[in-house]
Amino acid sequence: MIHKFAFGIVMIAALGTAGWAAGFQLPPPAETRLDNGLTVLTLRDDALPVVHVTCLVAGAGTAYEPADRGGLAELTGRLLLRGTAGLSAEALSEELDFLGATLAVSTDTENTWLNGRCLAEHLPRLLEIMAGSLTAPLLAEDEFIKERNRQLEQVKAIKDEPDDVIELYARRTYFGDHPLGRPGLGTESSLPAIGHTDVRQFYRRHVRPDRCILAIVGHFDPAPLAARLMATLGAWRAPEAPAPELGLPALPTPPAGPVCLLVDKPEATQANFMFVAPGFPLGDAVEPAAEVMNTIFGGRFTSWFNTELRIKRGLTYGARSGFESWRGAGVLLIESYTRNDAIGEALDLTLELLRKARRQGFAEAETVSARTYILGQFPPQLEGGAAKAAAYARLAAYRLGFDHYARFLQRVDTATTAEVNAAATKLLPGSGYALVVVGQADAIGKQLEKFGTFRITPIAMPGFSEAVSR
Amino acid sequence: MRRIRTLLLGLLLGAAALPAAGAFSPADVQEHRLDNGLKILLLRDASIPNIAYYTFFRVGSRNERPGLTGVSHFIEHMMFNGTAAIGPGEFDRRMEGLGGSNNAFTGEDITAYTDWFPSGGLAEMTAMEADRMRGISFEPEVFESERGVVASERRMAVENSNDGLLDEQLRATAIAAHPYHWGVIGWMSDILSWRRPEVMDYFRLYYAPNNAVLVVVGDFEPAAALELVRRHYGDIPASPAPPPVTTREPEAVAAKHVLLRRQAMTPLFKLAFRVPGTGDSDYFALELLDNILLKGESSRLHRRLVREEKLATAVTGGMPVNLDPYLFTIDVKPVAGADPARIEAVIREELERVRHEGVSAREYQKALNMRRAAFYDGLDSIGGKALQLGLAEIYHGGWRNLFTLADHYRSVPHEQVQTVARKYFNPHTATLAVLQPE
Repeated sequence: MIHKFAFGIVMIAALGTAGWAAGFQLPPPAETRLDNGLTVLTLRDDALPVVHVTCLVAGAGTAYEPADRGGLAELTGRLLLRGTAGLSAEALSEELDFLGATLAVSTDTENTWLNGRCLAEHLPRLLEIMAGSLTAPLLAEDEFIKERNRQLEQVKAIKDEPDDVIELYARRTYFGDHPLGRPGLGTESSLPAIGHTDVRQFYRRHVRPDRCILAIVGHFDPAPLAARLMATLGAWRAPEAPAPELGLPALPTPPAGPVCLLVDKPEATQANFMFVAPGFPLGDAVEPAAEVMNTIFGGRFTSWFNTELRIKRGLTYGARSGFESWRGAGVLLIESYTRNDAIGEALDLTLELLRKARRQGFAEAETVSARTYILGQFPPQLEGGAAKAAAYARLAAYRLGFDHYARFLQRVDTATTAEVNAAATKLLPGSGYALVVVGQADAIGKQLEKFGTFRITPIAMPGFSEAVSR
Repeated sequence: MRRIRTLLLGLLLGAAALPAAGAFSPADVQEHRLDNGLKILLLRDASIPNIAYYTFFRVGSRNERPGLTGVSHFIEHMMFNGTAAIGPGEFDRRMEGLGGSNNAFTGEDITAYTDWFPSGGLAEMTAMEADRMRGISFEPEVFESERGVVASERRMAVENSNDGLLDEQLRATAIAAHPYHWGVIGWMSDILSWRRPEVMDYFRLYYAPNNAVLVVVGDFEPAAALELVRRHYGDIPASPAPPPVTTREPEAVAAKHVLLRRQAMTPLFKLAFRVPGTGDSDYFALELLDNILLKGESSRLHRRLVREEKLATAVTGGMPVNLDPYLFTIDVKPVAGADPARIEAVIREELERVRHEGVSAREYQKALNMRRAAFYDGLDSIGGKALQLGLAEIYHGGWRNLFTLADHYRSVPHEQVQTVARKYFNPHTATLAVLQPE
């Protein structure tokens, strides 16, 4: 059993908070751009005879799929590894496994990622396989059907795990029809609507060299590597049409009062809850003060939130909050869970803490401790080749600069209590939030009445609840 | 326990090869032992200005008894709740104030306390860790509050999780006599009725320096670190040696079947076979077989169940990392509506094939390659190095064996993979656990 929630994970997910301790620099990578627009970032590190390779495809994420084709970005990403011009799906997985190499694809809100790892001597072959996946995936129809069905099954299975599913309902409730409200996996009704040609179109439109950032970190010899890259990826031509714009549609107006959803999960013995409130976009100036504020409020084990619900009252195993940020938008998520009969008490306590933090702010000693905590926890988050490669790709994709973390940490180090309290007033919600509870409606419905008008949706209902109009 | 089993398995999984140039070697590790029996491993690694400070105790659910099930995990929680010197929650507050964070995990055989902090915090962290090894206060009020936290954790991980509930049933059905019968979290009725004096006795016996290994990796001066450790831990008294776990699970003689009916979107399927612990001469051959059957998309069971028959979305599981015999589990995530009997038939067919035909030379080589490459994943951070050293010390007969694990895999004869398949994958003594949606 694990003693605690992984608080650090909340932090690194927020991109801007992952980095290097004050005064300790993320080593800048060597940067090259191929003629086709593909960016290559490399850092040689001889600590282990291993190489990590990451390719970020900017704009191939869920937010950029057509509204009526939910799950298309995820599905297209998965199919990149299901056979290439030179290798069938079976041959591809067999060869990777035989080398002891890994190559995985993941799709998030804005991007698709290919992440690989191999022994140093296998780097040339891993790059060839990766290049095949990017430039000449088969996207065959039989594989498309298999993978779409598998994804559909995963949508059903995820509903058996309330911890995993609550954010999907919460984002849908908060963002409505906006692309940020979409579940990456798609839904039971959106996946069957995806056709084979949709995948091919999405691939052609979004997977292109001028949108790819390749980061390579580990034990390699730079000169042969450059030649190898030219041979594998240099000939990849970008389509004539310019790349689609990166950016999200205007956000819906944040709710004025609570927008509440109860997801009825019969047999649930405890109730999960999540608040969603406006956050800030990636790279926003408020970020350092906001992260210090969140560290005190709900971002670490001794935070106000975890102290009140877990340490003082034993109501839960963990209570935490954290920011998630994208291009032009961001949210604050506040989440925990408790036994059925205590959900009312847990929600009361959460709202009281929010009021208190907004009203009275934090003490100087708390700010000092939180600043030290963020600085001290930074170096381990970017330890190792995989973490560095991902950080380089992200920093380049969002044009934040390789000194971003150093600057961020410097500003954390000098954030004043007044700035932190201003961030609390600005970002901790008063009443403008979405509140989603996943639990047994019969057992908890009564306790929820005082917190707002809850729409109730059975968890077995396809999708993650219809959008709320407001 | 689901999460920790995955963690241990995942990290040990790769233990396959001696690192080449640039990686650390046995000569970099200093070993010391204090008079009270505390074993200390120090490894300087200045790649980041931080320290990983890991304390391993040789105690877990294996050492518990009915009425006290789950108590090792509960003590893991109580270690953060106050000592004679510092109040409840103070350990975390001070540590986070130093820029540090921590976690801890309990398994069947071990409990580990894991701290990560900037180098400047070494003196204070050593003092605080020694302080809680000396004794914790078990304040009655805090005891009760933490009991509630653990009950909540159990509800989350077992009662409220179909997968957790089925795991618990599988374990309790397959293992009848040995303490692996119950999960690390413990039975709910025990959680709700642990008595303070018994818990305190358990603590005194098992959380003593002579039952611990301290591993420190990071940016520090070893001589100075050793001096700190001597100063703070030196006068903590040793306890009597804990009693050995003498119960041996009797030989499996029956096929067993668990059928759980619950509200669920998809069924769950697990098939388990009894296998030996980490010290057994068949252990490494079984690990290679695990790779061939279950690891990677080209593995036999993934290919059959997910790709060809489309009966499942994923197949996981494999060899456990345990001191005593436990279960090799084939854990299938079936598609909705899949027939468990069909899944079982496919698995049995594949296992029969290995039993009768063995594995190909290419598969054998593939398993060795996968082990070798994945080995380095565990050494990618100061925390990873601390963990691997500690696990090798406890599970593989000493930390030095971390550096020779590769030889153990390579020295498994190709034919032994088939031999262990015949020996352990006996269809007449397997335990099958299925969750059928209502």
